[in-house]
Amino acid sequence: MSIPLPTGSQRAQLLEQLARLCRNGEPNRASRLATPSGFPELDANLPGGGWPVGAIAELMSDASGIGELSLLVPALSRLARAGRYIAWIAPPYLPYGPGLAQRGLPLECVLLIQTRSLQESLWATEQALRCPAVGAVLGWPAYIVDRSVRRLQLAAEAGGSLGILYRPPEAARESSPAALRLRLHAAPEGLAVEIQKSRGGISGLTLRVGVAPTVAA
Amino acid sequence: MSTALWLCIRLPRLAQEALAASAHQAADAASLAKRTVDSAAIEQAAMERLAAWAYQWSSLVSYQLPDGPLLWLELAASRSLFGGHAALLANIEAELSQLGYSHACALAPSPAAAALLTRAGQQRCVSTPVELHSRLEPLPLALLALPEEVLAALHSAGLRRIGQLLGLPAAAIARRFGPAISLYLQRLCGTASDPRLAWRMPATYSARFEFDAEVHDTTALLFPLRRLLLEFQGYLRGRDCAVLRFTLAFEHYRQPASGVTIGMSAPARDAAQFLLLVRERLQSLVLPAAVSALRLQALEFTAASVLQADFFGGDEQQLQQLQLLLDRLQARLGDGQVRGLCQQADHRPERSWCFIPPQQSTARPDAQAATRPCTLLPQPRRIEPPALLLSGPERIESGWWDGGDVTRDYYVARAADGARLWVFQDLAAGGWYLQGLWT
Repeated sequence: MSIPLPTGSQRAQLLEQLARLCRNGEPNRASRLATPSGFPELDANLPGGGWPVGAIAELMSDASGIGELSLLVPALSRLARAGRYIAWIAPPYLPYGPGLAQRGLPLECVLLIQTRSLQESLWATEQALRCPAVGAVLGWPAYIVDRSVRRLQLAAEAGGSLGILYRPPEAARESSPAALRLRLHAAPEGLAVEIQKSRGGISGLTLRVGVAPTVAA
Repeated sequence: MSTALWLCIRLPRLAQEALAASAHQAADAASLAKRTVDSAAIEQAAMERLAAWAYQWSSLVSYQLPDGPLLWLELAASRSLFGGHAALLANIEAELSQLGYSHACALAPSPAAAALLTRAGQQRCVSTPVELHSRLEPLPLALLALPEEVLAALHSAGLRRIGQLLGLPAAAIARRFGPAISLYLQRLCGTASDPRLAWRMPATYSARFEFDAEVHDTTALLFPLRRLLLEFQGYLRGRDCAVLRFTLAFEHYRQPASGVTIGMSAPARDAAQFLLLVRERLQSLVLPAAVSALRLQALEFTAASVLQADFFGGDEQQLQQLQLLLDRLQARLGDGQVRGLCQQADHRPERSWCFIPPQQSTARPDAQAATRPCTLLPQPRRIEPPALLLSGPERIESGWWDGGDVTRDYYVARAADGARLWVFQDLAAGGWYLQGLWT
């Protein structure tokens, strides 16, 4: 018995696939899909023009209160208006309804999930990511190993959702299998976003993003 | 009207298998012998559960424990409903295997003939009296459900095959072997009526499973639970209804029973869905003691017409997926751990929002004039007067009518680490407070 060799276009396709695998180390399916962040300066520098759909993005913020959530709200609002739910897994502070609604997020889509342990949080994150009715999942794991990030990445891919992990700034010193890793620094008129890793994109850039509260006169 | 069609299920190892605590291991003879006192009760309980399960295919279900155990379903009316009797039978046999019961099934126009054919080897399905007659003729007399001495008498009279006996005039049989034998043969052929005590469906569901040996760990509960839930699904289908919740009670030796309630956000009757939820719940459950028996109970039922699973389509499907997620989260994390958010018309920030059950929508109050932060502290926290104020003040005065009156000036302040803070100065009592963060 002999194995039939691929011929013609089939063969060319396989070769192309192989070349792609060699270039990136992994199939690049997920990074092609993206949901616009709502910040043109950021979208211009992210592959696909926005947050990676079906993947995990890690946000490492220097401090709490510099706009790390506001950076996401336009994308979350867009997903919610498309009828998908936004799951918040054990947020360290209370998402404030009036503030979120003011930025265009319909509150009906908010699912706040409380947990008692890191293990429960990771489990709930995975479940929510796998659910196609959920558009984005926000998690704040105090500690997470690569294997768990990979698991969540697979879950996000299965559910076609955006997984956001807020991680402490120290996490920037380690590597991670997440598709996108951003460091967030406070800046006078907004937020400085440093692209530490961007699968299929450019890393090393620092961008200014205007997320500061509109100062009422 | 078409002729009757009876399905008979013979369950030769019902008592042993009802005690089985895993799919592969039926209770051994020794442990069953130890429990002779209640093995009849175990068999009876298992049969009651199976009768409820069988009700999904037939509204006439009957059973008999001696010389069996045997379970009958009258199927003449249901045949067309379930795609012909071959498909129906395949379906029933598949579920019996899933339940973990050894079984032999046969279909015949009379209950007695169906019972006989469960022991006849090949070709167990006949649907007309004529077919039945020719099927019975070559079979040995020993298959007849008759007392030993009658069978011996027939044998000594030179009879070997059922056909030979059926060839004799009924009156002669009655004279020689007694009227009961004659009636049995007429019922076998379907020429005399054979009334069966119809099983009555109870108004509430309660099924109990007793362990052979006490069980200490929750994973050991899963096999019997799978069976209980599958039987429960049969009952729900039979009643054409669904449930929003059911309870699982765990009986312990010398300790009061404990239990959990499994709740759904929409009426359901799918055994696989139930099992998923039960599994999640068991993972976080700490048993107070070893379990000696399990009981599944449901008291309230809803009409099946509101079943989510009956709908298909984009939005409905998405809703259904969300229900599944919410049910799973609640089963594992506990009730009240999944919530939604809404706004309330109140100027005081701490009262301008509240938690609601997930997925509810509420009226939206008028948009606030000034920008609000995305996150709030659970309680305003007392702080030193901030060094750098970026904007403000915004005066908020409210609450004199409910005793929670406030007079505050709100500002956006900047902390040393660059964080933007939502702070206020309490004008009544003095002092500065941090209430929110511009995350």
